Amino acid sequence: MNYLIVGASSGLGRNLAYKFAENSQNLILISRDLRDLEAIKSDIESRFHVKVIIHEIDCSSYIELDNFLKSNQNFFDNIDGILFPIGMINEDDNIRNESLPLNKILFGNYASVLRMASEANRIFIKRNKGVIVGFGSVSALLGRDQNLVYSSSKRALDSLFESLAITNIKNEIKIQFYVLGYLESNMTFSKKLILPKGSTNILSDLVFKNLDKKYKKIYFPFWWVFIAYILKILPFFITRQFFKLHLLLLSYLRN
Amino acid sequence: MVSSLIKKDLFKSFDKSYESEILIAKPDRYRDIEKKSLLSDNLITMGSALSYAPASFKKNSLSLIFEKFDRIIEFDKKKKTITVEGGITFQKFLNFTLSHGLWIPQIPGYPLISIAGAVATNAHGKSCGYHGTIRNQIKKITLYHKENGWLKLSEKENREIFELTIGGFGLTGTIVDVTFDLYDFAGFNFSTSIENVNSTTDTINKIKNERKNENYIYSWNRLDQSSKLGNGFIFQNQINLNDKKKNLNKIDCIDYNHKKKILPFSLWNGYSIKFFNNIYFYFHKYLKKKKYHDDFQSVIFPFIGKERYFDMFGTQGFVESQILVSNKYIELFIEEFEHLHRKYTPSITLFSIKNMNGKQNYLRFEDDSICLTFDFIRNNKNLEFMNFLDELCIKYQALPSIIKDSRISKNIVDKCYKHAEEFRNDLKKFDKKKIYRSELSDRLGL
Repeated sequence: MNYLIVGASSGLGRNLAYKFAENSQNLILISRDLRDLEAIKSDIESRFHVKVIIHEIDCSSYIELDNFLKSNQNFFDNIDGILFPIGMINEDDNIRNESLPLNKILFGNYASVLRMASEANRIFIKRNKGVIVGFGSVSALLGRDQNLVYSSSKRALDSLFESLAITNIKNEIKIQFYVLGYLESNMTFSKKLILPKGSTNILSDLVFKNLDKKYKKIYFPFWWVFIAYILKILPFFITRQFFKLHLLLLSYLRN
Repeated sequence: MVSSLIKKDLFKSFDKSYESEILIAKPDRYRDIEKKSLLSDNLITMGSALSYAPASFKKNSLSLIFEKFDRIIEFDKKKKTITVEGGITFQKFLNFTLSHGLWIPQIPGYPLISIAGAVATNAHGKSCGYHGTIRNQIKKITLYHKENGWLKLSEKENREIFELTIGGFGLTGTIVDVTFDLYDFAGFNFSTSIENVNSTTDTINKIKNERKNENYIYSWNRLDQSSKLGNGFIFQNQINLNDKKKNLNKIDCIDYNHKKKILPFSLWNGYSIKFFNNIYFYFHKYLKKKKYHDDFQSVIFPFIGKERYFDMFGTQGFVESQILVSNKYIELFIEEFEHLHRKYTPSITLFSIKNMNGKQNYLRFEDDSICLTFDFIRNNKNLEFMNFLDELCIKYQALPSIIKDSRISKNIVDKCYKHAEEFRNDLKKFDKKKIYRSELSDRLGL
């Protein structure tokens, strides 16, 4: 089987690449870091008997992705599954910032996934086979002051995967969506957080194990399912207080 | 102000001699190395932080943790070469090369030590009497220096920096990847023989005679009985060529916790040293066969599963002194050492002897000589005794190991290493601002 991993040069994407290679799956890896992709390719091909193809694409650039897909019209033909462990955070992502690279954050987190997932889905429908895996974030559970474009993109992603699941309700295409809490990654390395970080290794195992499930929406680490549920059932004037409490706790932890 | 990409942490050296608050960043992509190197004026790269002396951190300075750079970049089985990233551990490295019947014999004593760490300290391993240090296997290095950029180093390209980097304690920059020449590993485990020795001189004479022997030869000697100083055993590990089955067990996946809780006092003292030495001695003398089969892991990494040996020193820690003494002076050195030992009775938990081969340059712990290793409990009495040992090193032109002995001073290093000033000058030519720094480099004025 051939799996496409978008955003494979570090963090969860890199972990997934190794998990899939360990399980004898061929890989197509996309990232904007060619040097890292080359290192991952040579390491995986040396250690596992699988084939790895790499493409240097900056998914936060509409033009770059568009050019690539236009010049590789049959790109999805030999792909059996596609995973989007992609995310782009900008430290200045808030409504007050005039010079925010809005397009880049929006495209990197949402529009690039929409573009590729819809193209792949068309091919998968013809074959009546395929799997599409997306990764959201708990930051989308509640409106926020920081990482505003990021979290709203992730909320849109949640809706996109629900829509994909409904579109494919009568065929064999599998849709999975993971809502991610804090993970052990470069992004959270220096951060003091209220809840413990989840392991990317355990998550990669879970993703691989669930590949044959028709539709799944999973919160990881699992305790976020309870938090998400509470936030959903409570009216906004109460959840706003959670946000204040969260900020208070964070400032306490960081000082 | 500390950047949000940096974490503050309290860190302690492996020998527990030095503790300080340090800044940590963890790059996981190549562009991250460049970006995170800019976060602080001074920095150093941290491999597994298992060096006895604090060589990969210093107070309020940035340490780049390199563990994410652990990939195989190129492997050519026919040419017997491999390029690996600096953060790869020996465990991962050997599990790969041995599965292809290849290896490098210069392996430090613990599998979690990183390749870049071994290069930066010019590690030697047990067979250094025959194979020399890891320097002999290095073909090329890719180095990143915050101001000098990305550099390819080899005998042919940037040779001066290549020489400075091997055994240069990470002071030339971040060792990003290393290309090695590999050796065939013909058998898949070892055959070990034990021989009794009754004194240090007896051990040295026997070990010297085995200088041309490819086997791993080292001793275990007792220093807890003043009437029989140096009695013990010589171990000889020979690759077992008769065992051709390729079902080599993988080196165990272990996780060393730098922050585990240990006792606030040392369990090692005159009585416990005598007690454990007696058990070890009588077990090997009367119960253990004189020749037996040994697996790869227990020969190459004898401390796996025996980490408690170090924990028993408690929070006060230990000092390891490793000294290279020339064949010309070894007998005189031992004679004076034993005299001092009888007079001051230091508490030494481990004493071992092996051959070493190589050519000394810069601050590399390498020469054609005899290598003596002592583990001391860190207390005032022993530290005083170690000052006498330093004097012996100066007197007999011996080389004390910089990476093992965390109390060694600039004065002693300058007197023992005749190329120390040359190292300082050449390093200064390359890194004028002394960007890459650690406690070790500051202490020795490097």
